[in-house]
Amino acid sequence: MSSSFRTLMSSGVKVKLLFFAKARELVGVTETGLVVPNGLYTQKKLLSIIVETFPVLCSIQGNFIVALNEECMDQSQSIELKEGDQLAVIPPLSGG
Amino acid sequence: MMGLQEEEFQMPNFKQLLEEKDSEIMRLKTLLTKYVPKSELDQMSNSHPSTKIAASTATLESPENLCSQLSKEDVARYSRQLILPDFGVGGQQKLKKASVLIVGAGGLGCPAAIYLAAAGVGTIGVVDYDSVELSNLHRQILHKEHGVGTPKSLSIILAVSSLNSSVKCVSHHVLLKSNNAEEVISQYDIIIDATDNVASRYLLNDACVLLKKPLISGSALRFEGQLTVYNFDGGPCYRCIHPSPPPPETVTNCSDGGVLGVVPGTIGCLQALEAIKIAAGLGSSFSGKLLLFDGKEGSFRKITLRSKQKTCSLCGDNPVISKLIDYEQFCGASPTDKTETLHLLDDCSRLTCQEYKQLKEDSSPHLLIDVRPPEEVAICRLPNSVNVPFSKVEDPIEVEKIRNYIQKLDNKNKQVFFICRRGNNSQRAVQLLEPKLADLNVILRDIRGGIQAWAEEVDTAFPIY
Repeated sequence: MSSSFRTLMSSGVKVKLLFFAKARELVGVTETGLVVPNGLYTQKKLLSIIVETFPVLCSIQGNFIVALNEECMDQSQSIELKEGDQLAVIPPLSGG
Repeated sequence: MMGLQEEEFQMPNFKQLLEEKDSEIMRLKTLLTKYVPKSELDQMSNSHPSTKIAASTATLESPENLCSQLSKEDVARYSRQLILPDFGVGGQQKLKKASVLIVGAGGLGCPAAIYLAAAGVGTIGVVDYDSVELSNLHRQILHKEHGVGTPKSLSIILAVSSLNSSVKCVSHHVLLKSNNAEEVISQYDIIIDATDNVASRYLLNDACVLLKKPLISGSALRFEGQLTVYNFDGGPCYRCIHPSPPPPETVTNCSDGGVLGVVPGTIGCLQALEAIKIAAGLGSSFSGKLLLFDGKEGSFRKITLRSKQKTCSLCGDNPVISKLIDYEQFCGASPTDKTETLHLLDDCSRLTCQEYKQLKEDSSPHLLIDVRPPEEVAICRLPNSVNVPFSKVEDPIEVEKIRNYIQKLDNKNKQVFFICRRGNNSQRAVQLLEPKLADLNVILRDIRGGIQAWAEEVDTAFPIY
């Protein structure tokens, strides 16, 4: 976790991050808690926070979707995160 | 709403009128079939469409057909689904007329095929270029031990036909590519993506959008499965959700990552269910939705995907893709799930299995580091090897461990060999460790082709997985 990000975390909301498929393999856990600063978030901003927190996801940046409480956001949409919100990091699976 | 209420209001009158007309037609039909020779009747039905309807109604006279268009055997076979209020005779008849193409005769395709056949889908096509291997049988449950080495598509067709001989089965023993995909896909109503690689997934998506076919896409790896229905009912296509393919080195296949058979089994069954619902006119629960199945956790999550994208390069308002492309080039990987052989090291930094065997026989002092994950080492290993998993070779603790091992070697010409499953990670390990061990005056080399080559070239009794 980067230090600049850590300093922002004193006042924020705690959300739950869920990892699937390759993201789970790279990060090494299925879920974790994350405190994010209060404010409005677009899909793009959420993505960059997730990758900044878990740089290991860099290799698949642009190849996973992020769902907030089981719903993907539209690109233009801005939302405010609430305590306990679930953010799912979902790369596609291709095996079978 | 107004229109609907009016129709409902007039319904009893229509019904009565229809019944009167029906019995009049039936009476005329009986007279026709009784007094007009069959040859003349055929001629009449060809020239006069209304007579055709009448003539076909006449055939309803047999007691069997008064019940439904289904044969007595069909009624007995499908009785449990015929009495389902939302499915019924209508659903069964639609299923009988439907054709479904399953692309991939593996862990997803097997359960999908067998349930579609059991349910009575009229035509089932199966595409696969591959042949059955022993390592397939734990999840690809329609293939048999005695069928190892035979084409998978044929093996599925045999299993399907023995369950339901009334289903028309077509085996397509080909690798689906840009030059043959449209010809095969155009023959079917519904397409099931039961493939195992990224290139095939983009190929199927593009072909289905161009040919306007619903695509029921399933995938599985380890304990996880995913399911989505693309290009159906105004929903998004695969490119709306994943515009660009992942870098090939980030894609894990079942052969490297492993998979528990029942996981693709679960997803394949759900693919069959969606195909049956679409064929029977019940719609789909997964258009614009993504099912995430986690077999270890026992959870099913349904994610709402973003809608069809106006900017999609394929199904958007201004598409730039109007025909199939080169998917191998687009994805940077071949349309199979076979692991590619890398050539990262110079020949002088590599040793063949035969050379290593000779070196062991000469009792030449050396260190052999097996970089496979511990789960794989537990399956089989070469004697006197030490295990440092590839994922940890740069870990300072592991590097220190390796340095200690090397320092214990008592000859001047210190030799260290790396081995893995197929000879890719062993090369990567040499590259990663060379700078970290440079001060030890040591030669690092990898063993070509890994454990698999050892089993094939040196010790045929050695297990291959």
